[in-house]
Parts: sequence; structure tokens; C-alpha cells
Amino acid sequence: MRRYALIRTLSILPTLLGVTVAVFLLIRLIPGTIVDQMIGTEGTYSEQTVRALKSFFGLDAPIYVQYGQWMSAVIRGDLGTSWRTGIPVLQMIMSRLEITAELTLLAMLVALAVGIPMGILSARRENTALDHAVRVVSLFSLSIPVFWQATMLILAASLWFDWAPRVDFVSIWVDPAGNLAIMALPSLALGTAVAAVFMRMTRSSLLEVMREAFIQTARAKGVSERGVVWGHALKNSLIPLITVAGAQVGYLLGGVVVTEEVFTLPGVGRLVLWAVFQRDYPLVQGTILFISALFMLSNLAVDLVYGAVDPRIRHG
Amino acid sequence: MRTSGRSRMTRRQFLSLAAAAAATPALPRIAAAQQPRRGGTFISAKTTEAPSLDTILEQAASRQRIDVLFYNRLVEWAPDGKLQPALAESWTTSQDSKTWTFKLRRGVKFHTGRELVADDVKFTLDRVLDANVGSGGRGYLLAIEGIETPDKYTVVIHTKAPTASLLAGLAGNWQSIVPRDEVEKRGDLRRTAIGTGPFILQEWVPQSHLKARRNPDYWDRSKPVVDALEIKIIPDEASIIAQLRTGNIHHAMLEDNKNYLLVKDDKRLKALRTSRLGFDCLVMNHGRKPYDDVRVRQAVGLAIDRNEVLQVAASGLGQVTGPCTPAMKPWALPIETFKEWYTPNPERAKKLLADAGFPNGFKTTLKAIPTFPTMVAGSQVIAAQLKRVGIDAQIIQEEYGVWIKNIIKPNFNFDMTMNLTNGEPDPDSLFYRRLHSVEKQWPNGGDPEVDALLDQGKSTLDQPKRKEFYDKAQKLMVEKALIIWTFSPDLIEIVQNAVQYEQHFTSLFYGFRTVSLG
Repeated sequence: MRRYALIRTLSILPTLLGVTVAVFLLIRLIPGTIVDQMIGTEGTYSEQTVRALKSFFGLDAPIYVQYGQWMSAVIRGDLGTSWRTGIPVLQMIMSRLEITAELTLLAMLVALAVGIPMGILSARRENTALDHAVRVVSLFSLSIPVFWQATMLILAASLWFDWAPRVDFVSIWVDPAGNLAIMALPSLALGTAVAAVFMRMTRSSLLEVMREAFIQTARAKGVSERGVVWGHALKNSLIPLITVAGAQVGYLLGGVVVTEEVFTLPGVGRLVLWAVFQRDYPLVQGTILFISALFMLSNLAVDLVYGAVDPRIRHG
Repeated sequence: MRTSGRSRMTRRQFLSLAAAAAATPALPRIAAAQQPRRGGTFISAKTTEAPSLDTILEQAASRQRIDVLFYNRLVEWAPDGKLQPALAESWTTSQDSKTWTFKLRRGVKFHTGRELVADDVKFTLDRVLDANVGSGGRGYLLAIEGIETPDKYTVVIHTKAPTASLLAGLAGNWQSIVPRDEVEKRGDLRRTAIGTGPFILQEWVPQSHLKARRNPDYWDRSKPVVDALEIKIIPDEASIIAQLRTGNIHHAMLEDNKNYLLVKDDKRLKALRTSRLGFDCLVMNHGRKPYDDVRVRQAVGLAIDRNEVLQVAASGLGQVTGPCTPAMKPWALPIETFKEWYTPNPERAKKLLADAGFPNGFKTTLKAIPTFPTMVAGSQVIAAQLKRVGIDAQIIQEEYGVWIKNIIKPNFNFDMTMNLTNGEPDPDSLFYRRLHSVEKQWPNGGDPEVDALLDQGKSTLDQPKRKEFYDKAQKLMVEKALIIWTFSPDLIEIVQNAVQYEQHFTSLFYGFRTVSLG
């Protein structure tokens, strides 16, 4: 197990290295740099100023040198300083992480709370009208893009309930009720799409387990149908869900960018978007690297838990 | 609403009011009613904020707007469009109009408690002028040859040639005077604001809010009227309107003028409207065919119905404008001046196109930025109008950063583009950098006759003479269709009914200095 954990952990490094190259090159592929933005269309700037600005931001160095400088800082744990604000990138991320983490967590809770019971219901009523209805609804919510769902939720809430989410964010530590009121719609919008995945996973997994021999044994021993499902089948059918949940964290982290923008939550997702618009390279690179690392760590955690739960994996 | 409750009166105010009451028993009631209520916390909201606060380095308009809360300039724009003394109490010019001597106000203190001296002024202007610093304000001060400080309260500025726009430049958005010691200690003032202004920055939480309190040592004793102010960042303007309606905030300057229609009938709110300096326009690339031909540009101008553009792009909340917008009070010409070229005339446009060799029109592209609503709507209505004379303009929407890269020199990668500016109070600052052939920032071209007039306007200090040059230049710029001016949107601010607030044509928050909650 220890060997498996070690290998699995080390396997993150090449992936992260790939991420650094990708994010470094991709942001530079978008036309326009911070210097162009600073000059704008109305300023009178001399060539000397343009050169000075380029060299200030290190944009005059060859691209591999720029990458090397960034990487050597990253390895030392320094994500750099935001060009536009002058604040260290890590500090900017940390000040917003709480919101993104809370949104991801709440969305995950929504997804689990909705997805698993629906999946169980659907599996227990296999091929009935109810099953079909649940499956159609889940397909529907999987297919709707988060940004559209979010906008519709805001619209519906304001039209039918005369209620709109507050826009000036409060931390959960300051005003828990106010905070949850702000977070309700975003986590619902983000959570339902993932709930559909959980629902389908729970359904198919439960159906599969219900056909296993040990279930028949349980039935033969005279265990009630309720006891079979809750006591034997469910426990075993939830194992694959751990993997799915881990993978869905990635989806959620991607979804927060859009959700935070639509609901104007000052989280890491909106920070990325803002940084791209401002061509603030260190901030873009730092935040995306950070989110990727987070995603990989959550996958790693899932794999390790999974390995601990299922011996076949760590030996396989 | 969060206010401080009852207004508090200082002992001195009480005594003076009591004295007035004793002297003229009939008056105090009226006087008291007109007296703005002092104290309280004034709360404003806006959708965007500047990434940093450094007055010399940060180019965002949202930084310029709040500068006047924390800083002063040597001279500042009064609401009536005249320049008035601020940190400079008075100034004189030499016989040859090349040397300017400014006498500084004595006893002015920075927020740190240190007195402002001539050296701070020299330091600030030198820093703006340093090409290696990269300040957006450098272009406004290029005429300066050297700065001297013969004593603590005197600043002498030598210019290379007589420069009429020097004062306007010193009143500009990058020229707030900063304390030398603080800048040297910190490297820059991006994260803070330390000036001589009426408010002292207390707390800035980016993307959330900014809080400031009254500067008790402010040199203009009558200001500010409120004790504290808060600016909230609420990214969605519809939410700002909702907050105004519920009374949670006192003031907002509209970014999207269409939202005015949402509040104009609300009894609890006042919508203040005035002309603003900026304008929307259509720019053609003179470096590309067929726009090098003045007849084609004139045809484009004659095909456009500016009133329709104003109605569609800005819900009619603004004015059709000539080169100097109505807010540039001494310089603007009545719109009738441009009647020949501003009355839509598709027939004449077609004839001009035929003369230029395009009897059947031509295909072209028109750029706009999707996040600028007036650009998008404006491009659509202009494309439709151009179609009537046979010009088929395909609209291309480009993200802001990409657009800038394409528009700026030396790239000039566009046929036609929508553009807009926040404008300038002075015609030299407005025209020279954007439209003079030497700079050719916007249209990738220029016109020798216009250039000559702009040069004369730049160096003539005598106001009536100077105005003659710019009157001529404006008429010529419209006739030669250097660019196509369309409209100047109104500056619209919404305040709670009780709030007394004075708008400022520069759209800087000068009004915060005198605002009162009742």
C-alpha cells in the first residue's frame, strides 16, 4: 500500500509539469499583452517607454527564459506577484479560496443529496414510469449548461418569489445565514448537473450489485427486501461513486468560473477570468496551476481511499 | 440606511449660527434649511474598480475617478469648466510664455502629517515624465523642459515652446501630487493612497469595498461635508439599482445609461443628468483603401444618421456631437455648424462613392468590443445605414485585449472600428494625440491643414485667438471626415432624494467632496 501511495503521488509531478507548460503557452497565444493594454489607444508613449515596460514585465526575454524564471520561482513556492495589482498571487488566491471551496463543497453536497436518493429510487423502480421520468430529468439537467441554468434560476427566483441573491458577499464566519442565502442558488445551479451523474452511477451500480450472488444468498436467508437494499446492496454499490465524486471535483472547479461570474461571487474562478482579460500572466498561471494541483490532489486522495477500500486496486 | 443619525455641530458653527440668529432674527430658519447637513457616511457603488490605486502608473478610468478623494493637483477643474487654484495658489507666465511660476499653498499636509513642499511637486512631475516609469500622463507634460524649486513654496516649470494646454495637463488625471518620501519608501502607491486630499483611505478590500474618513486637516476647511465614505463594488448594475431602491446606498454613476429608464420614475431617487466629456465615434483606417480617399470617408459620414445612432446605442440619453463635446464648454460649437455633413444624405453619399470609383459600393469590416454596449449597438445601426448606400460592412466583435492589439500603431489592423473615449477638457489634449499626423493614433493618418491649426492651437496662449484656431480645425475635421463623431452620452448619476450632490463634467468624483446626506 505504501509503495502504491508513493508511486501514485509521484505520478502527479509530470502531469503538473505538463500543466505549467500548457498554461504558460496558452495565455501567450492570446493576442495582446499587458503593455498593449497599458498603452491603450489614447496615450502618447515613446518607444523607450514601451521597451521599458516590456523589460519591466520580463516580456523582452526569450520565451524559454521567461518560462525558466517562472518555474524556478514556482519550485521555490513563489507563484509571483500579480502585474496589475502588485499583490502576491498566492495571497490573492488565498483570500478568495474560501468562497470557491465553500461553493464546491456545497455543490457537492447538493449533488450527493439529490443524486444518490434519486438513483436508489430509480433502481428500485427499474423500468417503471418513475424510473423513466427520473432518467429523463437527469439527462436534461446534465445537458443544460451551468451558465444558462444559473441565469434561469436568478430570473425565476426574482419573478416568482420576488427574491434576488444578495450581491455584497459576506463570509460564512461573519453571517452564516446571509452567507448561505447567497450561496443557495449558485450551489444549486452547480450541484444539479453533478447530481445527474451521481444518480445515473448509483442506479446502474445498484442494479448491477442487485444481480450478484450474495444478494440472492441474502434473500434466500430471508432478509427483507428493504434489508437487502440498505444493508447489503447499497454499501457495495457506492464504491464506484467515490471515484466518480473525485472526478467530479474537477468538473465543479471548472464550473465555478462560470457560476462565480454569473452570481458575481468574488472567488478564485472569477479571479482567473479577470486575470485573462487583464493579461496578467503571473496571476493566470498561478491560479490555474493552483486549481490543477487542487484537482490532482483530490483525485489522488480518491485513489488512495479507493485503494484502501478495495485491495484489488493497490495490487493490480 | 446607515447614517450617523443626527448631525453634529461644532462649537464654532453653533456660535456663528447663534450670532447670525441674534443679528437677523428672520433669517436663520432659511439659512439652516439650506445649510447642508454635516456628517454621516456616504455610500456609493460601482461595477468596476481599478486593479491598483497609483496615480502615476494605473491607467484605469475607475482609478482616475476616485483620485480626487485622496489627492489634489496643482490646479483643478471647477464644475463650470474653468481651471481653479488647488495646491498652487497662484501662477504667472514669463514674457515669452515659456516659463511658468507656481506659488504653492502653505501649510498643506499629506495624510502622513508632513507638509507638502515644492520638492514633492517636482518629484511627482519628474516621475510622470520619466519614460522608464511608463506613466500614461507623460504625453500631457511632454512640453516640459525642466522643473526648478527655488524655495519650499515655489515651482518653476520651463517649457520647450509656449504651450497653452500646460495648465490642463497639470489638472490631468496622472498629475495628482504624491509625497516623495512615501513613494521612495514603498516603490509605488499601488496598494494605498497618500495624498493631500479631503479623505483618508482607511481600508481597501479589492473587489469588495473601499472605506475612507474625513481628513480633519484638509486645507479647504469647508470640505468634505460627510464624515466618512464607502464605495462598494457590485459587479452588476441591475443589483446596484436594487440597492439604491432599498436605500442601502446613496449614489451610483451609471455605466450603462439604459438603466436610467429603470429609475427615472422612482420617487425615492433623483436622477442627475449632465453632459460628459467623452464621445462615441466611428474610425476609418486612412492607411487602407478605400479610406485614404476623402470622398469615401465623406460618403460614410453622409450615410450615417447620428440621431438614429444615439437613439439605438444610448436610448437617446446624450447629444449628437461635433469634435468638441458639449461639456467642453468654451470650445464646443453649435451642432448647426456641421449641418452640411451631419444631415443624412444617401444620394450625395452614393454620388461621392461613384466619383471615388465605387458606384456599386464595396465590402468592408467594422470592429466592436462585445463588452461595450454602445459600441455593439452602434456598429449594428451604422452597418444597417451604410448598406443603404451600398457599403456592406461585416461586424467583427473582438475581446478588449485583442481589439487594442489590432487597433494601436503600428499594427492598425482594421478597416473601420467603433471607438469611444472619456474625452479631455482641453482641445489640444483631445485632438493632438489622437488625430495629428505626427501621432496618428486613431485613424492612421491625418490632414496637413488640420495639423497646422492644431499646432497653432497648441502654442497660442491667448484664449480668443486659440478658440479661432480650434473653431476652424473642428469644421475642417468634420468636412474631411477625419473620424466620424456620433454622439456624446450623458453623465447620469442616481442619488437618494435627500442627498445633495453636484455632478462634475469630468466624471471624476469631485462631487464627493461637497456631498451631504440631507
